[in-house]
Amino acid sequence: MSPSPLTLTPPPSPTPPLRRTPPRPRASTPTRAALRALCGLLLVSLVTPAAAKTYRYPESSKPSSLLPFFVENMSGVRISEFVFESLVTKNKRGDVEGVLAHSWSVSPDGATITFQLKPNVKWHDGKPFTAEDVVFTVEAAQDPKTIFASKSKFRFIRSARVMGPAQVQFTLLRTTKNPAADFTFKIIPKHHFTSTAINRLDRFSKYPVGTGPYKVAKSDLRVIKLDRNADYWGRASIDSIEMMHTPDSNEQINLLKYSGEGAGVQTVIFIPPKSMSTFENSDSVVLEPYHTVAWWYLAFNHKNPALADLSVRKAVALTLNREELLEAHLGQGDLLSGPFTESSPYYNFDVELREQDVEEAKSLLEGAGYKLKGKERVKGNAKLKFDLVINKDLPNCQPLALSIQADLRKAGIVVEPKFVDAALYNEQVMKQGKFDLTVNIWSFEELEDIFPLFRTGQPQNFIGYSNAAIDEQLDASRKESDHKTYKEIMMRLHLMLNDDLPYVFLWSLDVYSGVSRQLSDIFIQPYNYFTFFKDWSFK
Amino acid sequence: MSRPLGLGAMSLWALRRAARSLALLVGASFLVYATLRTAPGNMVDLVLGLNGTEEARATLRAEFGLDSGVLLGYARWAARAATGDLGRSITFSPGEGVAELALGAFAVTLGLALVSLLLSVTFAYALAVALGRPQPRQGLLLGPLSFLNAAPSFVVAVCLAHGINALIHLQLQGGGRVGPSWYPIPTYQSISDSLAPFSFAMISISLGDGLFMDLFNAVRAELRAVSGAQFMSAVRAKGARTRPHIVKNLVVPTLSLFTARLPLVLSAVVVVEYIFTLDGSGYLLFEAAKVRDVPVVVGVSLFFIAAVILMNLILDLVKAKVDPREVARVE
Repeated sequence: MSPSPLTLTPPPSPTPPLRRTPPRPRASTPTRAALRALCGLLLVSLVTPAAAKTYRYPESSKPSSLLPFFVENMSGVRISEFVFESLVTKNKRGDVEGVLAHSWSVSPDGATITFQLKPNVKWHDGKPFTAEDVVFTVEAAQDPKTIFASKSKFRFIRSARVMGPAQVQFTLLRTTKNPAADFTFKIIPKHHFTSTAINRLDRFSKYPVGTGPYKVAKSDLRVIKLDRNADYWGRASIDSIEMMHTPDSNEQINLLKYSGEGAGVQTVIFIPPKSMSTFENSDSVVLEPYHTVAWWYLAFNHKNPALADLSVRKAVALTLNREELLEAHLGQGDLLSGPFTESSPYYNFDVELREQDVEEAKSLLEGAGYKLKGKERVKGNAKLKFDLVINKDLPNCQPLALSIQADLRKAGIVVEPKFVDAALYNEQVMKQGKFDLTVNIWSFEELEDIFPLFRTGQPQNFIGYSNAAIDEQLDASRKESDHKTYKEIMMRLHLMLNDDLPYVFLWSLDVYSGVSRQLSDIFIQPYNYFTFFKDWSFK
Repeated sequence: MSRPLGLGAMSLWALRRAARSLALLVGASFLVYATLRTAPGNMVDLVLGLNGTEEARATLRAEFGLDSGVLLGYARWAARAATGDLGRSITFSPGEGVAELALGAFAVTLGLALVSLLLSVTFAYALAVALGRPQPRQGLLLGPLSFLNAAPSFVVAVCLAHGINALIHLQLQGGGRVGPSWYPIPTYQSISDSLAPFSFAMISISLGDGLFMDLFNAVRAELRAVSGAQFMSAVRAKGARTRPHIVKNLVVPTLSLFTARLPLVLSAVVVVEYIFTLDGSGYLLFEAAKVRDVPVVVGVSLFFIAAVILMNLILDLVKAKVDPREVARVE
């Protein structure tokens, strides 16, 4: 998982083409004439002004799909914001606000919620948006034959019913404080599908039809072009958008660095720390900080007998100089003592951060029976030697892994870093559990949901962690509907997890986007990024 | 003395060549398929991550053609491919036909490779003719040229892209002017939008990997060998024009050079076109392999293998036409 990036638009300006000095007349020979023709061909575009009013941004990966159910990566999440809409969204203050829903009411027992839909909303193909589409979306998502990763997002709905052309009612599985807040899933048009069993290879995945402010005009191998939806119920000021697949982060930086009138890109969503200095005093680009709900961790494989020993885990945690690792390789951020970011309501500030203490780490290892022999620690025949498996896509992973290796060597713990591609990481670490240590990031849409990470037997608990006391608290949190009590449980879990160390909780980063100064009214939504793009404009 | 070959011998020779080509095509595509299927990570895991029931996974495995072993899976794929159906992309560009995807991208790659090779061969001949006999002072030109030509083509491409960007950036700093439509590089424009990225890629390939100097040395040696051959003395003694004889005798060696360099140039192209963001097979292969899209990777590879086989076949046919001794030798 990667931090979400940001984007911007270029200013349109009727700039004159590049002037060239006319060549002096010279005697013409066939060779010279041919050369001149060739040069002319190459330079002809020099005098062609670039298209204006198009907002361009690069993405590190191609969207997995443009059909909302099958959006499995952040580039897909971001581009969906232009094309599709949900019933509600959180506004800039964090309050729930209607998008396709005009208003809603919750029954006194909290078991049903009824949405009144906005009138005069049309799909990109001109057909009217109705309650049928909303019910179809939920039924399709819940159809067992529609297979996608985030199916659990629809489990809170027991049933959906059309109450009228513009009214839809949901019966909920459990009551919550603000049930409308869960209806942020994107709505798809019923008339484009023949059944609720939706296949990921459907043509809709490439040429989707939504109700959003932009519609897909062109979908090439690397570039997806969106044009403003003329029939949009709201308003959007930028004419068109181009998303370009640019896997290399250096290329993304170059595109922003060289951006000018209508050229390059207007936003780079995530500026790596090493490139921050490029834009720190830039006249054309501003660094926009934004907050993501994402934190880094060093995970232990609890099936490894050595790492199942709490003393060894504590020794690892005490040997790491997290402050130095963060500053040297990733820039600025907050060191964490538990599975929440500091801005989370669940972060327990009473839990103290572990400082580096190599002597304490050594004595813990001695106490656990790991004696120093030469430069390594051994217990019987077992060496304290671990494979640190890392996904190559993780920012600055190589220097970071080497520094972790150097830190742990101070206590006699031998670490061998192994860098693998995303597919292999998924297979080897997440699925087969073939690792001892791994560094990665968890990112969340809104608030951290730690149940799937630490509850025994949950699929995302890939480290094989099991602790009865933690399970008890996590189960209690699942049943709790009172927000205050839920918060207390989470803060207790923060303390317990800091003591038991399923992971070493590392840090959350200060994330910056690079945004061209040609743009104004920028507001970045930390996860979906482009939620408020309608308000963005060129100066 | 060679005797004229009968129609039967020619047909048998052509049949044998075709059978050998087909066997090569099957063997190479199987290798690609098997490598990808046995590589760690698969499309179902990429799509569902840690989510999804075992039943859902099994359904997707069947849907993606991963529910059978490598041999059976390949046999199914090959049976469909024989009818022209290369399947659909699953994770790279979900639902898109592989044939259209691969054909469009491969046309760019092959076009770039052929044009670069043609251009290099033409300039190599031009330089060889212009320089004539080797002389010590030619080292002043050929030495630096060899040195420059020794850099890998992707290094040339990166330097070219950065150099052009920096130059135009400097020019534009005065303000009031706009850069060319393809600026900055990478431009993300197709060939129909601008020929510039294609031209830069072509220059990088010709100037990198020692391609130009390699061709120059080869054609110069061929040129000298043909010009100095015994039959040329007879031609000159008869007072006939020498050029048609030289050209005719250079066709086979030139084509051999062309065919021998094609696989190497193709492998350079897949990297260089990535740098100039041309929508070619390099991008397609690399990105599809990252998401383990078996149909796309095997489909694109099939075009590569077929192109190399076809070029060799054309070379053999031309050789047979120009010099029937070639067929007799095979016989």
